[in-house]
Amino acid sequence: MAEKQQTILRTQNLQAFYVLEMQGAQKIVKAVNEVNLQVYENEIYGIAGESGCGKTTLLKTLFNEIAPPLRLIEGKLYYRINDAEVDVTGMSADEKRRLRMEYISYIPQGSMSVFNPVQRIRGTFQDFIGSHVSGKNREQVFELAHRRVLELGLPRNVLDTYPHQLSGGMRQRVTIALASVLNPRIMIGDEPTTALDVVVQRGVIQMLKEIQRSLKNTIIMVTHDMGVHANIADRIGIMYAGKIVEEGTTEQIFANPSHPYTQFLINSLPKFGDKSMRDSVPGSPPSLADVPKGCPFHPRCPHARDICRQQMPDLTRLNDDHKVACWLVGGQDG
Amino acid sequence: MIFVKRYLIPRLIAYFLVIWVGITVVFFIPRLTPNDPVMRMIGEMRARGANLEPGAMDGIISDLTEMYGLEGSWLDQYGAFWSRLVNGDFGVSFFQFPAPVNQLIGNALPWTLGLLLSTTAITWIIGNMVGGIAGYYTRRRWSRAMDAVAMVIRPLPYYIFAFALLLIFAYLVRWFPITGGASLGALPSFTWDYIRNVLWHSFLPAASLIVLGGTVTFQTMKLLVQNVNAESFVQYAKLGGVTEDRIVRKYIIRNAMLPQITGLALSFGQIFSGALITEIVFGYPGLGMLLYRAILNGDYNLIMGITILSIVGITTAILIVDLAYPLFDPRVRYV
Repeated sequence: MAEKQQTILRTQNLQAFYVLEMQGAQKIVKAVNEVNLQVYENEIYGIAGESGCGKTTLLKTLFNEIAPPLRLIEGKLYYRINDAEVDVTGMSADEKRRLRMEYISYIPQGSMSVFNPVQRIRGTFQDFIGSHVSGKNREQVFELAHRRVLELGLPRNVLDTYPHQLSGGMRQRVTIALASVLNPRIMIGDEPTTALDVVVQRGVIQMLKEIQRSLKNTIIMVTHDMGVHANIADRIGIMYAGKIVEEGTTEQIFANPSHPYTQFLINSLPKFGDKSMRDSVPGSPPSLADVPKGCPFHPRCPHARDICRQQMPDLTRLNDDHKVACWLVGGQDG
Repeated sequence: MIFVKRYLIPRLIAYFLVIWVGITVVFFIPRLTPNDPVMRMIGEMRARGANLEPGAMDGIISDLTEMYGLEGSWLDQYGAFWSRLVNGDFGVSFFQFPAPVNQLIGNALPWTLGLLLSTTAITWIIGNMVGGIAGYYTRRRWSRAMDAVAMVIRPLPYYIFAFALLLIFAYLVRWFPITGGASLGALPSFTWDYIRNVLWHSFLPAASLIVLGGTVTFQTMKLLVQNVNAESFVQYAKLGGVTEDRIVRKYIIRNAMLPQITGLALSFGQIFSGALITEIVFGYPGLGMLLYRAILNGDYNLIMGITILSIVGITTAILIVDLAYPLFDPRVRYV
């Protein structure tokens, strides 16, 4: 962790809004609002936040899957491909398609319906792999797929089953096998552990970590579960109302949460031996179609001051990697 | 073996049970109507000016009753009916006495089959293809335009639509004949002239069926494709960079087709009751027309014959769908 790390994915002032036309009136949902992210090679980056704060939209945007009604309003998204930083927002549909699986892959929540119900898992593997690899290599990749399936502790015959014959945990593992089979540089996970019970969850987290360690690639993972983040992430970004409000290494976030929102998230976790009631964040997250002026957290923040209602604070550096956007921190309020 | 015991045999039992119940109901319903075919025949004879003595009248009534197979209690008739039916004999028609029902159906069936087999197939293929494409490109302008046209056509009552076609293309501009399956006096043969004549006569009835039926298939398929397109497995395949033609073929069409296959089998089953309204409006000499006249005349035997054909047709179609469905959808299993 200490040596300087190479950036693999970088966003610059990324703004992606849902633009909805309703009875002539335009409604704008600011799901990703001025996000500046820098994700390094060989790390697991976690994105945390409540439901409806724009996490999934941020993932879609990072995955360069921006389709109406979602629109890229402003900003740039760079991937480091073959040691050169490439702005991928202007890519053609086919260029985007080629990057998927091979360079950047997606791990969905392994629910009932992520696999084509009328074909065997083998068919899904063949479609996903066959769309990227052709000719002789294909045989080798199938070989690899077979091996990956076994490594992930799935029974050998899983490829010959239909999706409805698998349990949730098995389906989740199949999605991970599929996402990693072409050795992508970035893997993006959207709540990959959320639908699972804690025992299976632990196995899946372990598996993700092992894959990341052996491929030395990057995983960007969204979940609202801070416990999962504590287990898997190297660095965490806390998202609130479409913005990153705090970012730091996992130790920094848990040892020294600096944004009041982060403090609430962490204090709501149960601890061993402590049987007192946990406080949850008061109120509920704002509608992204109508974000409060100033710091969007001020209506729920116990420390809100006048300036919080007027102006959004910038991300300030607390120390090396730890950044927070709050007027309480960093003496910005002058 | 488990397949036979747990899947095939229960379905076969249900199959025969449905046919039996259906035929039984159809046997009794005409007998509950106030339409007495014997008295009707007498009335017709009187209308033609026949002067009958009361004694002769009684003789004629008992003769007719015997010939029509209406002797004895309903239960006796029911037994006699089944013993004829197992020999494939539907009896004689009342109103076209003494032509056997089999012969009348035999004459009408080719017309209905020819018209409905082809229109059902064409409707299904075109409706699904166009609906599928429009559903996939649902945001395009032309797709929305087609949707709007379908919305206008779909609620038109069939008989009004058919009659409008007839009025415009057969009466006003006279491109097509007003009535019939072929020109009067044309001899059935496999010559180009005769086939062209039949096609020319069938154009308007076929067009009416294809346009209205196709609109329904179009709308259903469009909705199905739109729904499947929004399913997680399609979204996931897109995120996995699966090529578009694979997604369309193996993910979207393959899944959207499932209910449509059932629909096709059912509409083939319904062919045997004929397209009643079509045949009446266009004066087409098919089973529907025959059934219509049979009902008007209280012709029990003919009603029975056509309805039994229809019952067997539909239940057989359902049985075939039931047996074949696990081939299309692995979630449905034999056991």
